[in-house]
Amino acid sequence: MDAVALRRAAVRGNAEVAPGVFLLRVEGEFRARPGQFYMVRAWERDPLLFRPLSAFDLSPGEISFLYGVRGRGTCLLSRLSPGEELELLGPLGNGWPEPPGRLALVGGGLGIAALYLAAKAFGGADVYLGFPGRPFLVEAFREVAAGLRVASESGEGGERGLVTDIFSPEGYDACYACGPRPMLAAIWEACRRAGVALFVSLEERMACGLGACLGCTVFTKDGPKRVCRDGPVFRAEEVFDA
Amino acid sequence: MPDLSVRIGSLTLKNPVLVASGTFGFGADYARLYDPSRLGGVVTKAITLEPRRGNPPPRLWETPCGLLNSIGLENPGVEAFLREELPRMRALGTAVVVNVWGETPEEYAELAQRLSVPGVDAIELNLSCPNVPGKGLIGSSPAGTARVVRLCRRATGLDLWAKLPPEGDVLAAARAAEAEGATAISAANTFRGLAIDIHTGRPVFANVTGGLSGPAIKPLALRLVYELSRAVRIPVIGIGGIAGWEDALEFIMAGAHAVQVGTGNFIDPLCAPKLVRGLEKFLAERGMESWEEVRGCAHRGGIPGAA
Repeated sequence: MDAVALRRAAVRGNAEVAPGVFLLRVEGEFRARPGQFYMVRAWERDPLLFRPLSAFDLSPGEISFLYGVRGRGTCLLSRLSPGEELELLGPLGNGWPEPPGRLALVGGGLGIAALYLAAKAFGGADVYLGFPGRPFLVEAFREVAAGLRVASESGEGGERGLVTDIFSPEGYDACYACGPRPMLAAIWEACRRAGVALFVSLEERMACGLGACLGCTVFTKDGPKRVCRDGPVFRAEEVFDA
Repeated sequence: MPDLSVRIGSLTLKNPVLVASGTFGFGADYARLYDPSRLGGVVTKAITLEPRRGNPPPRLWETPCGLLNSIGLENPGVEAFLREELPRMRALGTAVVVNVWGETPEEYAELAQRLSVPGVDAIELNLSCPNVPGKGLIGSSPAGTARVVRLCRRATGLDLWAKLPPEGDVLAAARAAEAEGATAISAANTFRGLAIDIHTGRPVFANVTGGLSGPAIKPLALRLVYELSRAVRIPVIGIGGIAGWEDALEFIMAGAHAVQVGTGNFIDPLCAPKLVRGLEKFLAERGMESWEEVRGCAHRGGIPGAA
């Protein structure tokens, strides 16, 4: 089992890469597998809880997180400046499995946060990204993807449409996806028809992040599962055929 | 070195800091961060006769300095608990208190009887889960509380801690529990609260209401513990918004023999062991050897000699 630690670390950068979307870079040596996450906080008692954020990228001396401003917690995170400190609990969760062969990574909106490290670590994967508005971090993905296609609903900076319009599972051995539930459900339909294994990374509100509080439980074919500990990565049939 | 130990019924805890039911699982999750043997005890997630899957998501909703939850008693059932979890809990090196919830007083008694095995140090009767569809709070009525404690008292020789809701006639329920042989009163469970999603106009939880915990409820819980510690002679275990050693000390000064950290674990996963250190330091700095001078001092003019 991975060693989980609570540690303080300093912010290196916190750039707004799209309206309301930030890339937070934090100093320190971290060890997370692709698809794992950290519980993050930079406040005392209010908001009460940490915020779960996927490890976006890891490099020597640095970890980064991609997040959108949704409420008070992420708003406070967005105001952090270089040198300020935050607390990190992790690495947590199971992460993506080792890919069995030809791999497609499919991300919608902020769901791309769980995929960059996978593209970088696994190598040779084709990446499909979808955005509601103007795409972001496309060039970063281009550097680590074997092939890259980008969709945007507005048609700005990519092919007009949804990521489900540009992705077909034919020819892949596995697909890893993260994004809104309707997107994941549509991708599961396509993968099921094509006989391609699909793994999805889920998001739920979390309190402890460690598997103790059962606040992030989802109901699966195999019974209740904790997103923080049994996931966040699940086989699609576990989640969608429940 | 001050002696931090406290006696609750037949049980001696090495210190007065426990972790509350539902916030610490069965101990293994937090054992990845620190050694639970530093704690006075671990109270388990509520155990029921049959496995329960709990309520659908969402189960959590943050409020200012508080947390609403609607977990709904998800647990593996008593059989799987005894087989899978209890053997691991015995190795934690601290007191194991099993929290139980029944649909009826008879179910509580059956649980108490089945849990009367080596490794279980006490049973906490959850008379106050706010999150079960169609079920009220049995502990908000003195008669309901009395009946559960009476049947459990016949079913087990173990210490029985009655965990009461913060609503209803709590003082009368506590007296009823004491009269029927409860060893301690755990006060209190969460307050029933509500949140509505203004985008949909619907309650955020499928079960409509949730249980409110966290620093937001601390003064309310503290007032209750203060009154309870006068109303009964058995020990009171204070629960409600404890997130630092100062909070714990307030509960002890209000008359609590021990405290439980619940939502505080989510604010700082190391909250409970930090509390033990903080309390120890407080006693040591004042040259106090035990809890005697401090416990309940708010009822008798404060710490002797304090300006």
